[in-house]
Amino acid sequence: MAPVGTTAPRRASATAGAGSGGATAPTAVPPSRAARARRRDRAPLLLLLPAGLVLTGVTVVPIGFLVFTSFTDYDQRTLFTGAYSVVGLQQYVTLLGDEEFWASLVRTVLFTAAMVAGSVVIGMGVSHLMTRVGRAWRYAMTVVLILAWAMPNVASSLVWNWLFQPGYGVVNWLLAQLGVFGDTTDLNWAEDPALAYTAIWLLIVWQAVPFIALTLNAAETQVPAEHQEAARLDGAGELLVYRAVTLVFLRPTLLLITILSVIWDYNVFNQIWLVSRGGPGDSTSTLGVFTYVTAFVGFDIGLGAAISVVTTLLLLAMTAVYIRSLLRAGEDL
Amino acid sequence: MSATTAAPPLAGPTGSGPSAPPPAPRRRRRRRWVSSSLAAAFCAVWVFPVYWMVNTAFKPRPEVLTTTPRFVPSDPTLANFVGAVTASDFLVNLRNSVIVVSGTVVVAVVLGIFAAAALSRFRFPGRRTIMVVVLAVQMLPSTALLIPMFVMFNSVDLLGTYAALVLAYVATVLPFSIWVMRGFFLAVPVEVEEAARIDGASTWRVLVSVLFPLVAPGVIATSIFAFIAAWNDYLFAYTFMREQSRYTLPVWLASFSNPNSGTDFGGQMAASVLFSLPVVVFFLFIQRNLVAGMSAGAVKG
Repeated sequence: MAPVGTTAPRRASATAGAGSGGATAPTAVPPSRAARARRRDRAPLLLLLPAGLVLTGVTVVPIGFLVFTSFTDYDQRTLFTGAYSVVGLQQYVTLLGDEEFWASLVRTVLFTAAMVAGSVVIGMGVSHLMTRVGRAWRYAMTVVLILAWAMPNVASSLVWNWLFQPGYGVVNWLLAQLGVFGDTTDLNWAEDPALAYTAIWLLIVWQAVPFIALTLNAAETQVPAEHQEAARLDGAGELLVYRAVTLVFLRPTLLLITILSVIWDYNVFNQIWLVSRGGPGDSTSTLGVFTYVTAFVGFDIGLGAAISVVTTLLLLAMTAVYIRSLLRAGEDL
Repeated sequence: MSATTAAPPLAGPTGSGPSAPPPAPRRRRRRRWVSSSLAAAFCAVWVFPVYWMVNTAFKPRPEVLTTTPRFVPSDPTLANFVGAVTASDFLVNLRNSVIVVSGTVVVAVVLGIFAAAALSRFRFPGRRTIMVVVLAVQMLPSTALLIPMFVMFNSVDLLGTYAALVLAYVATVLPFSIWVMRGFFLAVPVEVEEAARIDGASTWRVLVSVLFPLVAPGVIATSIFAFIAAWNDYLFAYTFMREQSRYTLPVWLASFSNPNSGTDFGGQMAASVLFSLPVVVFFLFIQRNLVAGMSAGAVKG
């Protein structure tokens, strides 16, 4: 009893002492300066407050609600009556036992890998080509790249459907002219999984290459010419100069671009939805399409939320890698 | 790094070193020629979808569906554009788009400029954490916001309203507005700010009269980013706006690909041109910032 009784007041007096000490300390310093420092400290807070509140409202709260929803049996009936019950991990158990989920995950991973590999390799080639042509061609390539990049993906998806239209599509006609694949005039790209993937892959790569090529090209023009010149004088062929000199300088940019591409391609939804709707069957149904169909076609919102949580966690892991490499690349956060 | 400064020593017949003559002019010229033809091939392939869209948009109906495609419309017409603009709610949906996009731009730019000022001109605890969160948020898959927002807006009867879409777009646009604006603030030398301070300007005065005018180009760039992101969104509008009178332009455009209107490709392509045009024009304006900004992870794909 006694120790408690004695320590409590002592602690109180200690804080009081610190308080008075704190009050007296600034008098040693000119008070106006301390006050100004404190006021200046409040400025960033006030500046951040509106954006912080809004961002919390439109991102943090929904994410929290998403996680909550994934623990409920929220469905179409709930949208009208508001009635639902908390089912714990039931949705996750259903999900992990669902073959369609695993199939979508595998599709997403493989398709993402194919799109990233395709766009990064082509982007590297285009970037390098831009360093080797005259100014007029470089300008033409830049304009063409920006056109492809700027096309809204809803519009480019419609264009793709028309390009690959069976019967009258120009791609089928061109293939038929080549004659390698026989008469392809009535080839239906939407009917065959491999063809549907090819069409979507071409669409994504077509729109992803511009960013990659232009960013890499910006980096490639910064590679000191002396190094390449030195390698050339030593007799290195162009390929070796590129591999041993240019690529070394491009590596940080390349890493960032690859990680960004992984994140973007993993999240692709519009193009798949508008070109194939995940079909034929569900052979092009990636995680995004699977989530959308579960939540907004079947209105199994609880399960959709669970898929979305899992998708987000996988993506967060990738984003963490991205931010770490940003930090390592010296970006001042 | 040391590996790069020392050029790889090459042995063998080609390794005759500096004594070897530089590539003969003819070889160099041939190499140029190869590069140029590769560039030409690339341009032809990459521009083709855009060219085909424009080409089809100007074709009269009978010229669109031909077994041998026509590479230039022999009888160019504006009928497809007229048809797209006059039919099926175009003007109503355009108005919806304009309202939602302007709302998003205003909110994102105003809030973004203040937040970016705080994150670039002040040092305070937690600043790094905030930047990391801002970055991470813009990497979220869209369904992670789509599903909870749908449910929340449904329960407060916001589905189908402009406010619902503006809130959804602010969630995706504001983080990258902050990120882009911050870059513009960082580019302003600290001396400018210090000079104003020495002249006795308060923190707010420095911000409003010195910094904000200097980052005006950033405001324009950020507005354009926000415009493009909101103008292009299909998923949120498609999910939240179920009535045709409430569609925004991307949903209007996508509804052209319905099976029932599936063969009017001239109309579809004309609509695509109309929809893409403002974006392409703006893109040409901000292309430089875009390369710099995106490489810093600024824009959501």
